[in-house]
Amino acid sequence: MDPFSAEGLLNIHNAFHSGQYQNVIDFDTAALSSENQLPARVLKLRSQIALGQTDEVLAAVSSEEDTPDLAATKALAQQAAGKTDAALQLAQDLAENNPDNGSVQVLCGTVLQAQGYNEEALALLSKHQGNLEAVSLVVQIYLQQNRSDLALKEVQTAKRWAQDSLLINLAESWVGLRVGGEKYQSAFYVYEELASGPSTSAPLSIVGQAVAEIHLGRLPEAEAALNAALEKYPSDTELIANSIVLNVLAGKPSEDLESILQQTEPSHALLADIQEKSALFDTAAAKYSPKVSS
Amino acid sequence: MQSSPNMLTKVRPSICPRTPITPSGPRHISWDRSIAAANVSFFAQFESKSSRAKGIAFHPKRPWILVSLHSSTIQLWDYRMGTLIDRFEEHDGPVRGIDFHPTQPLFVSGGDDYKIKVWNYQTRRCLFTLNGHLDYVRTVFFHPELPWILSASDDQTIRIWNWQNRSLICTMTGHNHYVMCAQFHPTEDLIASASLDQSVRIWDISGLRKKHSAPTSVSFEDQMARANPNQADMFGNTDAIVKFVLEGHDRGVNWVSFHPTLPLIVSAGDDRLIKLWRMSDTKAWEVDTCRGHFQNASACLFHPHQDLILSVGEDKTIRVWDLNKRTSVQSFKRDLDRFWVIAAHPEMNLFAAGHDTGVMVFKLERERPASAVYQNQLFYITKEKHVKSYDFAKNVESPPMLSLRKLGSPWVPPRTVSYNPAERAILVTSPADSGTYELIHLPRDATGAVEPTDVKRGQATSAVFVARNRFAVYNPSNQQVDIKDLSNSTTKTIKPPAGTTDIYFGGTGCLLFITPTHVVLYDIQQKKQLAEVVVSGVKYVVWSNDGLYCALLSKHNVTIVTKTLEQVSTLHETIRIKSATWDDSGVLIYSTLNHVKYSLLNGDNGIIRTLDQTVYLVRVKGRNVYCLDRNAQPRTLEIDPTEYRFKLALVKRNYDEMLQIIKTSSLVGQSIISYLQKKGYPEIALQFVQDPQTRFDLALECGNLEVAIEMARELDRPNFWSRLGAEALAHGNHQTVEMTYQKQRNFDKLSFLYLSTGDQEKLARMAKIAEHRGDFTSRFQNAIYRGDVEDRIQMFKEVDMYPLAYMTAKAHGLIEEAESILEACGLTEDQIVLPTLESPLTVPHPIVPTFKSNWPVKAAGHSSFEKALLGEVGAADDDAGADGFEVEEDDEEAVLAKDTLDDDEEDASGWDMGDDVNVEEEVDFVNVENTEAGAGSSERLTSGLLLNRQVGAVQFAPLKNRFLEVFKASKTYLPATVGLPPLVNYVRRTTDETDSRKVLPIIPRDLETIASVDLQEGYAAMRGNKLEEGVTIFKRILHSLLVNTVSSEAEVEQAKKIISTAREYILAMSIELERRSIGTDSPDGLKRSLELSAYFTIPKLEVAHRQLALMAAMKLAFANKNYNSALGFASRMLANGGSAKLLEQARKIKAQCERNPQDQIDVDFDPFAEFDICAASHTPIFSGSPCVTDPFTGAKYHEQYKGSVDRISDVTEIGAPASGLRLFVPSQY
Repeated sequence: MDPFSAEGLLNIHNAFHSGQYQNVIDFDTAALSSENQLPARVLKLRSQIALGQTDEVLAAVSSEEDTPDLAATKALAQQAAGKTDAALQLAQDLAENNPDNGSVQVLCGTVLQAQGYNEEALALLSKHQGNLEAVSLVVQIYLQQNRSDLALKEVQTAKRWAQDSLLINLAESWVGLRVGGEKYQSAFYVYEELASGPSTSAPLSIVGQAVAEIHLGRLPEAEAALNAALEKYPSDTELIANSIVLNVLAGKPSEDLESILQQTEPSHALLADIQEKSALFDTAAAKYSPKVSS
Repeated sequence: MQSSPNMLTKVRPSICPRTPITPSGPRHISWDRSIAAANVSFFAQFESKSSRAKGIAFHPKRPWILVSLHSSTIQLWDYRMGTLIDRFEEHDGPVRGIDFHPTQPLFVSGGDDYKIKVWNYQTRRCLFTLNGHLDYVRTVFFHPELPWILSASDDQTIRIWNWQNRSLICTMTGHNHYVMCAQFHPTEDLIASASLDQSVRIWDISGLRKKHSAPTSVSFEDQMARANPNQADMFGNTDAIVKFVLEGHDRGVNWVSFHPTLPLIVSAGDDRLIKLWRMSDTKAWEVDTCRGHFQNASACLFHPHQDLILSVGEDKTIRVWDLNKRTSVQSFKRDLDRFWVIAAHPEMNLFAAGHDTGVMVFKLERERPASAVYQNQLFYITKEKHVKSYDFAKNVESPPMLSLRKLGSPWVPPRTVSYNPAERAILVTSPADSGTYELIHLPRDATGAVEPTDVKRGQATSAVFVARNRFAVYNPSNQQVDIKDLSNSTTKTIKPPAGTTDIYFGGTGCLLFITPTHVVLYDIQQKKQLAEVVVSGVKYVVWSNDGLYCALLSKHNVTIVTKTLEQVSTLHETIRIKSATWDDSGVLIYSTLNHVKYSLLNGDNGIIRTLDQTVYLVRVKGRNVYCLDRNAQPRTLEIDPTEYRFKLALVKRNYDEMLQIIKTSSLVGQSIISYLQKKGYPEIALQFVQDPQTRFDLALECGNLEVAIEMARELDRPNFWSRLGAEALAHGNHQTVEMTYQKQRNFDKLSFLYLSTGDQEKLARMAKIAEHRGDFTSRFQNAIYRGDVEDRIQMFKEVDMYPLAYMTAKAHGLIEEAESILEACGLTEDQIVLPTLESPLTVPHPIVPTFKSNWPVKAAGHSSFEKALLGEVGAADDDAGADGFEVEEDDEEAVLAKDTLDDDEEDASGWDMGDDVNVEEEVDFVNVENTEAGAGSSERLTSGLLLNRQVGAVQFAPLKNRFLEVFKASKTYLPATVGLPPLVNYVRRTTDETDSRKVLPIIPRDLETIASVDLQEGYAAMRGNKLEEGVTIFKRILHSLLVNTVSSEAEVEQAKKIISTAREYILAMSIELERRSIGTDSPDGLKRSLELSAYFTIPKLEVAHRQLALMAAMKLAFANKNYNSALGFASRMLANGGSAKLLEQARKIKAQCERNPQDQIDVDFDPFAEFDICAASHTPIFSGSPCVTDPFTGAKYHEQYKGSVDRISDVTEIGAPASGLRLFVPSQY
């Protein structure tokens, strides 16, 4: 079984994976058993990284780099802070020395994948022993490689031993949104359930719900979900990015949102793509001109 | 059976006791006591406490039951309300027989005083008594149609009485012991009787009916027969003959009943047996015996609708038997009371049993059909135990989807159903076998009542879905809630609070535990209790559509709580609450036994309509309430939601909606007025009131003086004037005060009012009036107010108060006057002792002429509601006054101009370039092997090439937005693992397709959107005279269509039509824009202007829009004295028809122009020639002259423009060789 499904860690674990990072940080871990303290701490640190508090994390783990879990956290924090070279170096070291540590697998796998070392990431992650986070990461890597067949296989294998896990449900939805058809609807149900539950509702789940609805062609519903979420989390980049997509689909102006996105995350894939394609367009368009200029 | 030790003390002769009959095994009483009690008491409707009940009768229509008691009383109960309506006490001693007349307000009773009494329950009197029996009367029954009463007596006779002429018409002898029961057959001329002589007899009374059926003429014999009804007629006693004697009971028989439709008879005897008999025309025989009672069986009957037998006995049990198998189905035991009698309601599923301490009315089964609602669908289980669905929107019932015949026991309907849309599964519970549940997947299509396959089942009393792949079941025997996955294996176990009776869905991931006193909200995942609320006896939980509120229904209370169990409101009903459902606006609609009612969140409630039968609400939408009736049939009830919508609008202060409601519905009546007044909205209530007095009261309450004055005038009574005056005074509205004082002839107050407002003139008039009236006090008062010393002195003199007059004169230094007074009195100054004089009173003069107008009053109390009323009037005015391009909206606008299809459009079939990549397929698309990085750009280049070939596109810059738009809409960003970029998925327009080779990308602004949104925007711009905007919109339409796709040839045609429509509008608008840009000062400018205005009328616009162009052209021509042209435009306008206002103008101008049809300025416009307009130069291209067209839009140009960019689309090259736009590739679909 997934080591995190231990009773004490379940809640903090679920909170992390449903994107409630502040809740994770505020989580009272005093009651946890001593062996659960470290995983809980790693989750808290990762939440801080997710919220952009990388400096705090780096400071917190600086003296404890002997613990592989914390070292892996450091690698992730470095990656998030933009110190990619250092992160890569650390991640590769850890992958070599502590390949069996769950945190190392997941966190260093993330770092490797983020820097484009797909194969190394997969190799590291393949050593996992029933680590659901590793499974979900593998699924994501496959999806990013456009290998939805492998991703599906991975999910189905994992479902045999961890059907109930939030992570597996999510990973299945990722695959579902790639496969499409009826799977859109199943993915929608997963996200809707998360988004409507008081303990799991977060931008992450609402975006998922809205994305599923966009794919299902239910634009008004998606719009309702995104607008409600934007009011609550006005600076969540994925919310904004998907709202742009939705507005364009619905034939509504999206310029305001684009400029907001430009401010919050200028490097977002959507903007980068638009820029690239815009330039390509101009090049292509320049090849044509009317015979007679008017 | 023991008789009472009353005046007629009698002990029933004991039949020698035989060996006791062994109860036939525990099987028949095996029914688990606790469950039995739980179940039957669950269905118990009513219980009375009294002495021993010997006879029972249901009223056929009303919720009434008559109970005859051993104590000589007859009680009339309303079992629904649980109230005793009446008592009838004239019998002496126990009353055993009782029956309601099926139609008349009568009932009959028979007692141990040998008497049969017929009563009228309306007048509450005994009408008459039928005497004749010589011993206890055991049962009495009315005949279903004839005016007969049948009685059975211990005198061993059965008698038939005519209650209309109050005579005995037949006496049946034959039993040789007490006759314990005698009943008419419901349809045939038969009587069944049961006697302690151990026999049941069937009597044929067709002879009697024949004799008494209305004869055409009354013969002597008949008269004789009627005159002596007690005697046998002259042919012997053939009125009633014994048809069959049924022997089989080996003790006395206490009761016998006919089956309502089948030739069956059931009897109950002291041998503790229930026997079933069958009869044919010629014989009757015993069919079977139901063994189970372990004491004397007192009564029995057939279930009116189902194949069941019910019996009661002195063993304190009610037993239910299967008619076909003769096995026990159910039994119920009372602790102390022996049962004596049982009765069935003739129509409803209701039974009553009389016992030693009263009566219990009960239902044999739940009548609430199990149902679940999901979005537009209702899933429910019919009486046949078929699962069906019902579509609210389409109002269609599906054929049966599943048969649940095997669920639970055959006589027990399922209790609840819970639906899981994600898995399309249902969870059904049945109370049978101490509670079972089944998890069943619904078939994709409803094909008929098939037996489900792959059923998961288990033991539980409640089962609900709590998540997509989880459900919770509750088992009270071990007090445990199990959370199970869809393979029915337990994943979690929860210990609910002690005493939990039921569980309900509590919002995602949560459960509601219902205990007798509390409702507890529990988070399954966190395994902790989130909230609890003290509400007792909750039976049902109904969530609002948005999941924010939930209604907890108990027998007599509705409690509304939030999703976190904070109590919002609660209400109490005296009548049982049956069901509830939420309106989309957050109003709870609930039903009681006989009403549909509503409750707002704040607890305001009221009746919406009455019900003639009990229903279970499942949904409300607009004016329709959807419900299931007791036969599990979906029904739709029409309701008038006005009242609660109005109240809701009031609570939400949504004045616009209130206004709407007031205007569109007939919302009047005392209740709404008093409601509004009570809630502190007198100004709104005012809008509803006609009655002047109420209007006056309300107007005063909300300070609306104008209305109050109006009403006071109408009423014109002093009381109203004085109240109005007081209110006006408080407002400082002294003019109104003045008027009310005048109306009341309140002179003193008027004077004072004038004084205080400084109105000297009117004060003087008041003085005059006082003088006129001879009211000296008033006159004096006015004189003081005015400071008029002379008048005061004059007045004193007139009333002979010379000392005062003198004093006044003296004090004011009027020496002469003083002396003349002295003179008149014949006194001198020395003779008078004067007090010290102080300085005389001077009246202050008003500084501000307040009287001229009212004091500044706070702006009249127009509530926002009234403002809305006023505002709306204003808006309407604005509308009427608007001018410019003002045309009535034309409904046909949505329809594209059919005649504008341009032949120049090249047919798509001309395409044979061998390229099967469609133009719009340029969007890079997900494909497993597809590395998308470069794909976009290369395909985009392709697309440029394609567009160049198809439509001669050369200038792509204007298309950039469109291309980016398509690109932006092509994929979504799904955040996955934190720290990694989001997962990118491509949006498809084929949402059901999963084969990656067949999926197609989505294109925003598809044809439908363009036709229904963009095109209409363009038209609106035209109407609104926003031409620049219009040109932009229509160009955008062209660009959107250029990069687009459609799914059928028909749509290709539609797209072509839209392209040509857009072309015509862009052309027309450009012409008009050019005209506006040039001045008319120079002769050339004027000429060009006139020409352009004429060309503006040429493009093929919608008729309504062409009228605008014609109108403009006509006016311009007319103003410049080009009467001939103006005449032409006017005639065209008249030919087009349309708005009357425009036509009127056209007619006028036409009339004027006809007088002098000459053009002052020669323009290049021949209304009779055929020509197109060059889209670049805006000059005519007469037919026959050389021209070039644009390959995409089909716009015409003079030849010199060949090779330049199309002015209409800004994209394509005029005259370029092209294959035609290809939007649709059939082979792809």
